[in-house]
Amino acid sequence: MSDRTIRRFVEGLLRGQRTEHARPDDFEAEQMKTAIELRAARLGSDAPREEFVTDLHRKLAAEMSEEQAPVSHPRWAPRRREVVIGGSVAAASAAAGLVVGRNLLTPAVTQQATPPTQGELEPNAGTWRTVGASGDLPEGGALAFDLGSVNGFVHRTDAKLEAVSGVCTHQGCKLWLDAPESRLRCPCHSTSFSLEGTTVTHQLPIAPPPLPKFQVREINGVIEVFAPTEPA
Amino acid sequence: MAGAAYPNWDAVYRDNVTWVYRLMYGKVGNQPDAEDLTAEVFMTALKPLRVSATVPEVRKYLRMTARTVLASYWGERMGRPVTSIEEDVPEAIEPESVTSDAPDKVRRLLERLPDNYRRILELRFLQAFSVREAASQMGVSVANAKVLQFRALRMAAQSGEEATS
Repeated sequence: MSDRTIRRFVEGLLRGQRTEHARPDDFEAEQMKTAIELRAARLGSDAPREEFVTDLHRKLAAEMSEEQAPVSHPRWAPRRREVVIGGSVAAASAAAGLVVGRNLLTPAVTQQATPPTQGELEPNAGTWRTVGASGDLPEGGALAFDLGSVNGFVHRTDAKLEAVSGVCTHQGCKLWLDAPESRLRCPCHSTSFSLEGTTVTHQLPIAPPPLPKFQVREINGVIEVFAPTEPA
Repeated sequence: MAGAAYPNWDAVYRDNVTWVYRLMYGKVGNQPDAEDLTAEVFMTALKPLRVSATVPEVRKYLRMTARTVLASYWGERMGRPVTSIEEDVPEAIEPESVTSDAPDKVRRLLERLPDNYRRILELRFLQAFSVREAASQMGVSVANAKVLQFRALRMAAQSGEEATS
């Protein structure tokens, strides 16, 4: 009696691998079906990965925009089969795939969803903490700060100071300052925010909320941000 | 709300991607294939979709597309439909109920098995134990656990066959 077909199938299934080619008979197919039902009943294993949902959304956006505006896009869109197969490759290296994908597939998708309003960070207990000297921040400039419990960016526009959180509102990755573009960029899913904290570009199914603001002031030649008091 | 339509493809995708994925996952049991099949459903279905279609119509259409996509997947991999998506679903089915009877079915299936057969399947399939871990949990040798698992699956498949026919 040969049971290799079933053994191979079950081993692959339990390792979470793709189904390989085989030619099962009736009873073997029934065992495969039972194995699939058992595996799929494992708790919490049937929710789609967020990276997958985002990645597929981006590919669909590319497909759909190609159809609607064929003239404005070069013919870079891969064929349907390749997209599907390529998807799993991209999924295997989610972060890298998404960054590459952003440049190759969707030229600066800007979605104007209706984002939630921008809040101000109000810690239960806070103190004014120095983040830099006035001289460090010329008109039109931006400055990164890290106070341990919080980090963010302060900028000066029209002689006014404004400070926003430096943590992406999607999954908490640390933003970096793209000074030439006046953007705060997320390394995780190519979301970007303005220096004022509004969401500028993203490729997620739902726009991430804007960045919370800090209270900020300038006293005696230093810039201070109202931040949570450090735990004793 | 029965006559309501989606404003655009984006809304269709967001509202339906989770249940389509869950449906596919329940039918193939692994993430990479479930992701590819979900992608294929939306790639195939979105372009020809009428913008005026109502929400239940869209869901039914997605389900029919998923049915075709799954059938061709099994045809190519195994030369036969190992699992399938039923055609006749009640109108306006709520997406949440798509896979809701699966855990019950598995529980009933396991209840019909002898203790050690049920145990090995629970440990390996539901609790993600390795053969070695499962063997040590059950106090048997690794070789013994492998045989148990193999026989347990055969018996479960037989009893599942009888229950459905």
